[in-house]
Amino acid sequence: MIILFVALPLVVAGVLPLVGKISRRVLPDLLANAALLFLLVYAVAAGRPLIGNGPVLQQLTWLGETVNLRLALDGFSLFMLMAVSLVGLCVGLFSVDYMEHYGAKANYYALLLIMIAGMNGLVLATDLFNIYVFLEVAAVASYSLVAFGLGHDELEAAFKYLMLSVVASAAILISIAVIFGMTGSLSLPAVARALQELNAGPVVGISAALFIMGFGLKAALIPFHAWLPDAHPSAPAPISAVLSGLLIKVSGVYALTRIFLNVFGLTPALSTVLMYLGTVSLVGAAFLALGQKDIKRMLAYSSISQVGYIVLGIGLGTPLGIAGGLFHLFNHALAKGLLFLTSGSLQQATGTRDLREMGGLAKRMPFTAATNLIGSLSIAGVPPLNGFWSKLIIIIALVQAGHPVFAVIAVLASVLTLWYYLLIQRQAFFGKLNERWAAVKEAPFWMTAATVLLAFLCLAVGVLFSLTIKTWIQPAAGVLAEGVQTVIRSWGL
Amino acid sequence: MIIQTALLVGLVLFSALAILLKDLLKAAISLAVASLLLGIVFFRLGAPYAGVFEISVVAGLITVLFILTIALTNTGEEVRESRLVNIVFPLFFVVFIVIDALVMKGLVQKIPALPAAAESGTFGDVLWKGRTLDLVGQIAVILAGVFSVLALFRKRDKHD
Repeated sequence: MIILFVALPLVVAGVLPLVGKISRRVLPDLLANAALLFLLVYAVAAGRPLIGNGPVLQQLTWLGETVNLRLALDGFSLFMLMAVSLVGLCVGLFSVDYMEHYGAKANYYALLLIMIAGMNGLVLATDLFNIYVFLEVAAVASYSLVAFGLGHDELEAAFKYLMLSVVASAAILISIAVIFGMTGSLSLPAVARALQELNAGPVVGISAALFIMGFGLKAALIPFHAWLPDAHPSAPAPISAVLSGLLIKVSGVYALTRIFLNVFGLTPALSTVLMYLGTVSLVGAAFLALGQKDIKRMLAYSSISQVGYIVLGIGLGTPLGIAGGLFHLFNHALAKGLLFLTSGSLQQATGTRDLREMGGLAKRMPFTAATNLIGSLSIAGVPPLNGFWSKLIIIIALVQAGHPVFAVIAVLASVLTLWYYLLIQRQAFFGKLNERWAAVKEAPFWMTAATVLLAFLCLAVGVLFSLTIKTWIQPAAGVLAEGVQTVIRSWGL
Repeated sequence: MIIQTALLVGLVLFSALAILLKDLLKAAISLAVASLLLGIVFFRLGAPYAGVFEISVVAGLITVLFILTIALTNTGEEVRESRLVNIVFPLFFVVFIVIDALVMKGLVQKIPALPAAAESGTFGDVLWKGRTLDLVGQIAVILAGVFSVLALFRKRDKHD
């Protein structure tokens, strides 16, 4: 029953505001986190045996009649579902304490669950228009979550995000229309087969360009990144964690990768474009991050830079490059989720996001300081943490494929990354304690628990990296490395 | 062909008016006219279900909601906007039209377009059986919209 990944969060979201009338805090906290925990357990425990014999295709019946509700679960989609559920659960736990002072908690959880249902639906969809619809589901929920604090900055950021996101949706929709006009079908296997037979190079090129623009905007690749440094910092911290850790990856990277590698087939030209976009993003955003004084803004720029690594790895198109890109996607989801949560703890404790005003907070918030350090070192790629291995794999793949220049750029950008993360650590946590923060206390229990859990995962995935790669990354990368054949052969119902 | 072109030009014109007009009521009506024209285009292209929905929901229902909201909230205050907007949008619009025309001209004979097929099955078949997963997505979008309104228009007792 893989439809549960979509249906369960939606149903729980539907009843949450009603539950919120009975109990304003405890029941919504419990219900939302139970749903997220169930999704994680279901993905980890039931998902892997389910795809043991190849991808699962589900054609559902409704009241005894077959309806067009087709879902497909393969190594790549299961990997994404697991990442979404894992970060989703940590964010849910963090929200128990963090969202206390915002009010309207039941509505908040409902929107969070709808966003997760949208991401899960996108990951399981087997049809271009379904992908678009679920992209919008996740996006609509995320607009209002960015504005959830109702302050001037939040509303402005949400509006900017909405406007640029609409442009992205329009580009994606036009591209889908062009493909439908050419192939007469929307389902991914049929489109993949038709594109193999059709000889329509220029038109495919135009729809690929529109997809790059649309999904590039969603993934915030440079030069489509203008909305992200406003939207991600303005949202409440747990939502920033979901946006940076998950949403840009699911609605940007996942959709782009699935369509380009499994439906269009990665041509050398497409591969080059993706690699250049990735490299420009990873270098450009790293420099932009250096100059930031606002901790969340710095993290937001860092997300653009890390998505650059992911796109560079996947765009390379070799099995090792794809594996490295996907592994980095997972590691960045964990570490950036963690860092946005610790920045939330900092903001709640001090009331500011300005790094210059902080200082010496490690004495008052030891857990937050330690987990923040682990997240920072992980993203910067310091061994033995998880980020080191994924960056190493991407760099080895680049060298193997004969792109030493890209490899050198990736290494140098990694040094820049370490630099600005150490800046955060030094300015916020080390040094002399600022007098203003003498009364600051460690973050409440659930906030600390969520960050400790994510930090532990960063460490564990780093130490057990070969196990992670064997169980999760390789099945996912295998699906992508097989190219269009995966979808044509095993998805045709 | 002439009718089709006239409909499309009208559609673009009224859509642009909906953005450019300062009077909200006139903008809402322009939008309704634009979607009425789009509905007619849908009918002529052999998509009656899409046409019916476009005209009844977008041109009809949503316009009524817009006009009701404007009538209930309009205080007659002019919203001051930057002069830049008045220049940038039309400029962007003209550039877009030129690029669009050039691209489309280049593509006209190159897209191996399929002959339009009539919508298969009854309305119920198309809606409930043909695109069921989209319906699930639609329900999710509606839920998201409702909860957004509830969340964004809540009393700001604690946060402020």
